[in-house]
Amino acid sequence: MSPTRPTTTEETSTVQTQPSGLADPADAVHPERRSAMPYLPEVAADPLPFYDRLRSECPIAAVDGIGEGTHIISRYEDVKFALRHPEIFSSDIVAVDIGQDRPLIPLQIDPPEHAKYRRLMDPHLGPKEVATIEDETRALVNDVIDGFIERGSCDFHAEFSVPFPCTVFLTLSGLPLDEVAQFLAWKDAIIRPDVPFGDHAAAAEVRRATGRALYGYFEGVIDDRLANPGDDVISRFVHGEIDGRRLSREEILDICYLFILGGLDTVTSTLDCSIAYLAQHPERRRALAEQPELVPAAVEELLRLHTPVMQILRVVATEHEMRGVTMRPGDTVMLMLGAADTDPDEFGPTANEADFSRDANRHFAFGGGPHRCLGSHLARMELRVALEELHRRIPDYELRPGTRLSYSPGIRELAELPLVFSPGTREGTGPQEAPA
Amino acid sequence: MRVVLDEGACVGHGRCYAVAPEVYAADDRGHCVVRNAEVPAGLEHQARTGAANCPEGALVIEP
Repeated sequence: MSPTRPTTTEETSTVQTQPSGLADPADAVHPERRSAMPYLPEVAADPLPFYDRLRSECPIAAVDGIGEGTHIISRYEDVKFALRHPEIFSSDIVAVDIGQDRPLIPLQIDPPEHAKYRRLMDPHLGPKEVATIEDETRALVNDVIDGFIERGSCDFHAEFSVPFPCTVFLTLSGLPLDEVAQFLAWKDAIIRPDVPFGDHAAAAEVRRATGRALYGYFEGVIDDRLANPGDDVISRFVHGEIDGRRLSREEILDICYLFILGGLDTVTSTLDCSIAYLAQHPERRRALAEQPELVPAAVEELLRLHTPVMQILRVVATEHEMRGVTMRPGDTVMLMLGAADTDPDEFGPTANEADFSRDANRHFAFGGGPHRCLGSHLARMELRVALEELHRRIPDYELRPGTRLSYSPGIRELAELPLVFSPGTREGTGPQEAPA
Repeated sequence: MRVVLDEGACVGHGRCYAVAPEVYAADDRGHCVVRNAEVPAGLEHQARTGAANCPEGALVIEP
């Protein structure tokens, strides 16, 4: 893996929504009209009061302002049921429109077709494959830390959470690291289009235009991989087979479209959420610095408590009744993963706390059922290695005084994460940080 | 003690072999493989912990 560290772009911090002035995130739940509004920065910044009220007072809620035909499901038991019943809660293309022409593969293909794609794709991101890049991933983490450790301060979002997972992903995919700014701009235009809050038509237009650019780019990548097969993951998809046949060009495009969105966004938001929490909870941070063997459990607990992908969407395929609410075919269902992952009925009285010694942690931060996140093994390795090396080298970080954190709704990414810490020494031999 | 894996329910979260690697292993896709259906003496706690961490409830412990 190349030690080159990509630079970041301002686009990564654009946020679609504006503060609504809510004093308490729980006020975004309206039990009297059985609705709720999760897409608010105040909710993304402090979702636990929102989740608590949603689960206890309004476990099946409509989306505020849309109403009819939308259902937010928040209790662990109900979310688990929905994840495991794709024949009722379908992941079909109508569930999520993000500028694509056809269903994204494998997310928007339901069983049984879905299993054929996963059988091809899973091994390339499975635990054995991921283990082979752990050493170079650790070297990369240390190279990234070298970039700011002597300074005693950093914007952890821009200098670590973005470049580290993006470098891992682009290297794995055989995509050029020096084009990372373009990939991030496309990814953000689709996930967080920079349009006025609530302007769905403008958002759809940005996504459609970005989708054209993505398809065009990957047409070129596929041509290249057909002519020059490599060992990268995209080459393996291009030359892979299902049912004894090669994938069609459209199928490969439909894989790549989703692959780049998944690969470039969610580890960034998980690192942001995890490190922001640890920076504000020094006793937990110290525990990781003093007992590195706690890191794997901490990764799971931070994933659970912060569930960076707050919710995922499904569409009702066959009429279904849940807690007295009838869901009709075509209705949109929002599975509030973050609320399920902090449900005391599953996680007990400490559901809203980070407990690194929790015995059973069956969270759904990576979803569940047949569509379990394809990248979860890679993400877990990246998070573990990042937390191990960070706490070995920078054990005493905290938020820069006066910092007010701004989280994007939906997928909880920070605009910036300013940290201060005792300066340390570089370990690598890479280029020195340019003098300011 | 026996471990019974519901292969249809396993989707490859990989929690079992992460927390209980002497009882569970991964296949190439990351799905669970039970090393010995009859849990060897001394590994009962691992077997239970692995099963308790499966988000799909795909592992059942039989006494």
